[in-house]
Amino acid sequence: MSGGNSKNKAKSKRHEGWEEAGGEFYQELYPGGEQELFDNLQRADAAKLATLLPSKQARNTTTVKRARSQTDRRQSTFARTMQSRDIHLSMLPDLSENLSNEERSWEEIMQIKALPVPMSQKIELKARLQNATKLRLQGFEQLHWRQRKVWHRFRIGCTETFSKLELWQTPMREIEGKFGTGVVSYFLFLRWLFLLNLTISILVIVFLILPKTLLNERVYECDETEANSTVCCSIAYFEKNTTNSNIFLDVIQGTGWMERTILFYGVYTDQIYTYYVNSLYHTKLFYNMPMAYILVPISWTLLSLIAIVKTAARGFKQKLIESEGQFYKYCNLVFGGWDFCIHNDRSARIKHQALYNEIKGCIEEERFKEEKQSRSRESQILMHLKRLFINLIVFVILIASGFLIYVAFNFSTERLNESIGSNENRTRTMPIVYSTMSFNQLENVLMEFLPFICIVVLNLIIPEIFSYMIRYEGYMPPHVIIITLLRTVLLRLSSLGVLLSQIYLYISTNGIVCAKHNTDTTKLECWETYVGQQFYKLILTDFAVQFVTTFLINLPRAFMARHTRSRCLKIFGEQEFYLPKHVLDIVYVQTIIWMGSFFCPFLPIIGSMFYFMIFYIKKFTCLVNCTPSPVVYKASKSKSLFMSVLLLGFVISILPVAYSVAEILPSINCGPYRGYATVWEFVIQTFNNFPSVIREVIFLLSTATFAVPAFAVTLFFLYYYWAVATANRHMVAVLKNQLVLEGHDKQFLLNRLSAFIRQHQKRCDRRNRPSFADDDSSIRQSSR
Amino acid sequence: MGQGKSQFTEEELQDYEDLTYFTKKEVLYAHQKFKALAPEKVGHNKNAKLPMAKVLTYPELKVNPFKDRICKVFSSSNDGDCTFEDFLDMMSVFSEMAPKAVKAEHAFRIFDFDGDDMIGVSDLREVIQRLCGPELKLTDSEIQQLVQNVLEEADLDDDGALSFAEFEHIIDKSSDFCHAFRIRL
Repeated sequence: MSGGNSKNKAKSKRHEGWEEAGGEFYQELYPGGEQELFDNLQRADAAKLATLLPSKQARNTTTVKRARSQTDRRQSTFARTMQSRDIHLSMLPDLSENLSNEERSWEEIMQIKALPVPMSQKIELKARLQNATKLRLQGFEQLHWRQRKVWHRFRIGCTETFSKLELWQTPMREIEGKFGTGVVSYFLFLRWLFLLNLTISILVIVFLILPKTLLNERVYECDETEANSTVCCSIAYFEKNTTNSNIFLDVIQGTGWMERTILFYGVYTDQIYTYYVNSLYHTKLFYNMPMAYILVPISWTLLSLIAIVKTAARGFKQKLIESEGQFYKYCNLVFGGWDFCIHNDRSARIKHQALYNEIKGCIEEERFKEEKQSRSRESQILMHLKRLFINLIVFVILIASGFLIYVAFNFSTERLNESIGSNENRTRTMPIVYSTMSFNQLENVLMEFLPFICIVVLNLIIPEIFSYMIRYEGYMPPHVIIITLLRTVLLRLSSLGVLLSQIYLYISTNGIVCAKHNTDTTKLECWETYVGQQFYKLILTDFAVQFVTTFLINLPRAFMARHTRSRCLKIFGEQEFYLPKHVLDIVYVQTIIWMGSFFCPFLPIIGSMFYFMIFYIKKFTCLVNCTPSPVVYKASKSKSLFMSVLLLGFVISILPVAYSVAEILPSINCGPYRGYATVWEFVIQTFNNFPSVIREVIFLLSTATFAVPAFAVTLFFLYYYWAVATANRHMVAVLKNQLVLEGHDKQFLLNRLSAFIRQHQKRCDRRNRPSFADDDSSIRQSSR
Repeated sequence: MGQGKSQFTEEELQDYEDLTYFTKKEVLYAHQKFKALAPEKVGHNKNAKLPMAKVLTYPELKVNPFKDRICKVFSSSNDGDCTFEDFLDMMSVFSEMAPKAVKAEHAFRIFDFDGDDMIGVSDLREVIQRLCGPELKLTDSEIQQLVQNVLEEADLDDDGALSFAEFEHIIDKSSDFCHAFRIRL
């Protein structure tokens, strides 16, 4: 009796607690003492038994677990709650007795928001917590708590202001509502690139452009005895008149007066600026321009690399978590399929369609896999032959487009040189001032831009051909995207590669000449500026084409599709927002920026302006021209895809720049490195001027005494983490098995229990009115 | 905002700020949105109870396939009718600041159509059918297969239904869920 009494006491105590809480909610959720459980068992029919299990009462158990781990969190090693910071305090009122001080109660109030109860109950809970008796904090603790509170408020304020300052919030929302999160992740990527370029631009402005414009260069006299010295050559170069006179043409080509502006490599000086500050005890300040000119590119390279790797690593981690993997594909599809932010009817309909397609696709894929195994040998061979054939065609197309660029470049340079020569002849014979753009000039401009127009047009047309061809190869849908993307990247990079190699050949034959006695106009007097001009033109062309295709080609197409009844025109006019293509567009621009920034320091600034405008162009494309794509783009997946493409572009664009820095002779007439054998030579010379201690240290770092141990230690760590990872993987497998076994055990026990209850009930029934049912057989049946 | 201020006391706002993932300004903004659903009712009584049909005119909810479930889950009277406080709760859970676990908790209740605290086969079928919309119908065998696949992936203890722990486990690993389960205020 006494045992029962104490049990009752405990129960009643708990009940009091609940009443204190005033939340009937908890009463529902906590079937209290054993007595109650037994009552429940007796009342319950066998079928409902399962619903009484703790695990079935989902929220209930988790709250209990969390509460418990909260109360004795010092002792318990409940890893999950300790790790994840979002501890869910259950606001069980009996906990309020444990509230020792103001800080704790404040903490708990902050946690109420995570509870799945209606607001009125939350408010009640809060009031209860606030009114509960508690210790007042004293002295240092009080101060500490105050500090925390202020910090918390400050952080909220900060996030609020930041979210207000965040760029392009409303457009993002609009896009999200119409196209879902996958497409928004593309625009976030665009914004990320914009911000990256903005940072690079700030670096360039502060360390290159400002010193160049603010500080005065010293003027040297040319010593006539050394006609080929750097001083004489550069004076001759800067005194030479520039050729073109039309301002518009100069601006779009970067020639003429533009050539001698801060846009290009040429004007940056090889001097160390000195600046006297009179107010500061006549201190002399130095600014080493050549040093800055090499350090800035190095720093933005590192910056970009770190930014990419950091973002990519986040994606990689996510991918690792999911790599269990592919495994959760269906759950993701079913539970994370709907974008809750979609808010217009048409997009909702399309989203339904997209999900439907995806589900169909998944099921199809499974069938496809089965089919693949059962496919006959001949058809398999045929398939492979087909793929081989198409790959060959792709290869041929790539080579052909490379060749086309090669021809275009040579053709245009030849024609340009010819026309410059003939122009000079003509101006000598009959001096006419060209004030307006003549036909000849127009032709020249066309020739100047021919290689770039060629590249951009190829970039527009050939991906379409690729996407048409891939239909015949019978790849699975996710592979289709990756393979077309790869081919298009290859196309773009190879076209850039051909252009670069042509420029390189042209430079190495015509590049190095002193401007002093040079009258040959085909010779380049400052090849770095020339390279910079090429990239400048390329980026302008690319932007122009983006603009033209969006507003002059795709807009009428979309307009046509919307207002026509004809089927044919509709097919022609309707466009989907095909994500990989647009990603490539902006990654390509970024590649050009990275490649050209050493030769044209202004390029990142132009780049950030372009990104700013491209955002609006792409938004227009997205919202006005395109219909939502019936392919589901997963936000997480596309992010890692973007980053890997960007990383590829980064590596490919940095390599030629690094080569030119390390190997090619800088021009004598211009730039910070006139007179050096390579740019890198300058770095080595400066390094030699360092204090010997630093030199020794860096030298030591590059020798084997440091490298071998460092390598060994890294390997050791790698091995350690690998071992831990494998052990964990094994553990996961074991635990999973155990879970299944537990599940089976549970099922078995439940069956036995329900059988037992049924038997018990029958026995009760029989006691009331005897029957002839065989209990044992019923047990056996139900336990099966 | 002036109107909003006149309808709430500073204390109430503080409560709302403490108990949701919003700041005071956002609470007021949410109230504006709520008011826009039924200006004549909310104008008189800031915490008026709106019938489910009215709440579902909110643009994001209107097109949502689980709209009735969402309302029912957040409604304090469990019939889908929402007061402002319910609406605020809803928006708070769907906001960007809400942690994954909170979202998972509510998502579980939304997907649990029959309310037995398990996402069973029937619930899954319902979810899939709603995802595909009213016009597109998957065949029965396709749905069956999909349900089977989902259970194969997530049903760790092999009992033919997803408990909350199992559901949370999936959500933990799904990176898209957090992006998708969000309504911007």
